[in-house]
Amino acid sequence: MSSRKGQKKAAQVVREQIAREKRRTRTIWTSIGAAAVLVIAGLIGWAVFSSQKSKTYTAPPNANHEGTGIAMGQGQVTVNIYEDYQCPACKQFQDTSGSTITELINQNKVRVVFHPVAFLNRFSSTEYSTRASAASGCAADGARFKEFTDALFAKQPPENSAGLSDAELIDIGASVGVSRDAFSSCVKDGKYKSWTAHVTDDASRSGVVSTPTIKVNGRVLQATERTPEGIKAAVAAAGK
Amino acid sequence: MTVTAPNARPGRWAVLRPWLGAAARLGLAAVWLFAGASKVGDLAASGRAVNAYQVMPYDLATVIGAVLPFVELALGVLLIVGLATRLVAGVSAALLVVFIAGIASAWARGLAIDCGCFGSGGQLAAGQAPSYLPEILRDLGFLVLAGFLLIWPRTPFALDGWLAGKAPEEGEDE
Repeated sequence: MSSRKGQKKAAQVVREQIAREKRRTRTIWTSIGAAAVLVIAGLIGWAVFSSQKSKTYTAPPNANHEGTGIAMGQGQVTVNIYEDYQCPACKQFQDTSGSTITELINQNKVRVVFHPVAFLNRFSSTEYSTRASAASGCAADGARFKEFTDALFAKQPPENSAGLSDAELIDIGASVGVSRDAFSSCVKDGKYKSWTAHVTDDASRSGVVSTPTIKVNGRVLQATERTPEGIKAAVAAAGK
Repeated sequence: MTVTAPNARPGRWAVLRPWLGAAARLGLAAVWLFAGASKVGDLAASGRAVNAYQVMPYDLATVIGAVLPFVELALGVLLIVGLATRLVAGVSAALLVVFIAGIASAWARGLAIDCGCFGSGGQLAAGQAPSYLPEILRDLGFLVLAGFLLIWPRTPFALDGWLAGKAPEEGEDE
């Protein structure tokens, strides 16, 4: 009787051990499975991103050599301006200092490279930053980049709206003297959207994380320097 | 350990714990799903948000920015179904610690960025001040959820429990 009881007990211990072993194996395999799911998800992200990245782009005429912005002027000092058409601080900069920049270009003191980046697509429901930037490429096609840029900042839509429609962009283009037909098809076809992506990518790569960013011969201006006097001083200092 | 479970009511914590765990699991799942979904639509922007922290080269930041939303979504799905909860909670906790460190470092370096935790990220809107402290506190809250699941991964309505058959005896296997 008592030896039987002992046998029963021993069998139970063995059963429990087997069960525990099984459970451990199961835990290991579930963990491996879950880890695989996470790794695969990451790889999918990478693959999707790689496929989205367009390798080719068409830069508009008057783009700089690298195709990362529109060049204006022939001066010795290079001023790089990174702006998003949706960015209120950029509009403010244009309002206060735009004429100074134009003046410096006309005086042959600076060569301005204007980079219309699309950082702020999330502030419109229609990716206005990208559409506006691509349209500015179309304006460069018609040799009216500067005029178009000024007009867009003057009519800047509020953040978190739908932005200006393509039709409105086309009207603005025509109003600054671009041929309506060519401009219209350029905007509607999104001819320069891949260029916008290239411009934006290059800006991020070169350390630009916010707009407006103004670089005078490579030096980033402080916010307090983004005034007519500040820019003139920075250009004068860089030209020496 | 036993301080939180006074002897006067021994059964209470034992009854409550699985349900707290289920709530933590589903809550953390919602956080990850929301975080991932808000970024997955614009992977380039997600990369820029990572780049805005200025802690790694741009090319690496774009890869991290593209991978992260998908991993977050996968974490959310694994938590919802309750598979390998302890491992997933561990990965979640590790990620959250990295996020908190990133935000703290951006704060310490005086950067003015949005954490990019739930979409957006990078540059702030006009006139907007960074809100690093609320962002860190929020992530610490999520970290508590992950920590709970790390310690007590077994919760009701989870594949883990279904796979294991009957619930293990107290203290065993967990």
